[in-house]
Amino acid sequence: MLRMDMDDHAAIQAVLAGDKEAYAALVVRHSRRLYRVAFRITGNQADAEDVVQEALPRGYRKLESFESRSDFGTWIYRIAVRCALDRIGGSKVDESSRVAETTNREQNGVQVADREAGPERLLLSGEIRAMQQIAMHGLSPTERTAFMLRHLEDLTTEEIAAAMGIEPSAAKQSVFRAVQKLRLRLATLRVKI
Amino acid sequence: MKHLSEEEMIAQVYGEGDKTTAKRHLEGCAECSKAYAGLQSDLAEMKFADPPELDAFYGERVWASLSGSLHAYRAPKRKWLGGGVWRGLSYAAACVLLLASAFLGGRLWEQKRAQKAAEISSRQKQQQVVPVPHRERVVVVVLGDHLDRSERLLMELTHADAGSPEMISPLRDEARSLLAANHICRQHARPHDDPELATALDRLDHLLDELANQPGGLDMPTLTRLQNETNAYGLLFEVRVLRSRLPERQAAAAGRTKGGTI
Repeated sequence: MLRMDMDDHAAIQAVLAGDKEAYAALVVRHSRRLYRVAFRITGNQADAEDVVQEALPRGYRKLESFESRSDFGTWIYRIAVRCALDRIGGSKVDESSRVAETTNREQNGVQVADREAGPERLLLSGEIRAMQQIAMHGLSPTERTAFMLRHLEDLTTEEIAAAMGIEPSAAKQSVFRAVQKLRLRLATLRVKI
Repeated sequence: MKHLSEEEMIAQVYGEGDKTTAKRHLEGCAECSKAYAGLQSDLAEMKFADPPELDAFYGERVWASLSGSLHAYRAPKRKWLGGGVWRGLSYAAACVLLLASAFLGGRLWEQKRAQKAAEISSRQKQQQVVPVPHRERVVVVVLGDHLDRSERLLMELTHADAGSPEMISPLRDEARSLLAANHICRQHARPHDDPELATALDRLDHLLDELANQPGGLDMPTLTRLQNETNAYGLLFEVRVLRSRLPERQAAAAGRTKGGTI
């Protein structure tokens, strides 16, 4: 039977004392949040679930290095962000995937090519969010992650930097570049539509 | 007027940067205000799909899939003296103990070494001090014997007759025997202590050498010459005087021996 009554600190102490089952309380308490941020970064449910399955055991193995004064939720969140970042950074863009992009100099913008779903169709079907998802694929993993943490998770620049393991200035620049690129691409798409 | 950069506007939208200055500028600058409104609008439009809903038992399912692959931590062993402060103190105490042991060990070793050195020095002193009087006493005894024999030889030489070979031959043999003993006595005699003894032994040595090693044996002229030299130097008299002083030397040597051994 899972013991959900323990707070994070007590659960950690119990785990380190040899009670493996105490980690269940931490998993149940934090896995949804990890799933959410993983989904924001990876963009799909399967990858998000994989990230959760990877981040929680990693946190368990590193639990001895966890400082008891810190917040476990923030700590494991950062681990999940890095797992998600590794996942999107490590996987190469497939040429046959639904999105590929080239820069069209004449149009001075980004042209999104999608064999199965063109911009017109996306707009016509009212799938504006899908169009944004397409634009998101033009961002680097760092930019995408920084933007998602800023725009959707409402983290500050310092929190983004800590979660991603980068300098605050780099985090700020990543958000800035992401917004610039997204606006440019979305504007291009609007014109094309 | 310096307009707001796009970066500053983005920071302003997300509630970061210098809010007061940016807000004041936006209120007074139509151009930036328009750009800012456009940025706000674009960002507001960026609403991404929410993650698919998870069932109520998602956390339990995650744990169920993970628990089998996790190994329980080993229960920490009882820390020596409770760890933390006590462990630090025990380390400090151990260091102090080690230093104290090293210090005491060093002191003991130094003492032992000093004792050994003193013993060796004492032994050396004994070896140096004690044998000298013994040796001196032996020399005095040997010297006494040597002077006795020399006196008898000088007496025989004084009354010797070169014409009777039965007297000459034993004289030469005795001279040869005394010559070796005389060498030893001369080596051990300390001229600075007793110059008379040294002078007498030197003259005796010359005489004994002539007696023992005269080429062609002792003839009348040689014997007469040696008799004359003996008389001229009063060698017999000197030997008798020196022999008469030997008891004093023996007493002095015995006294030094006592002093040395005390």
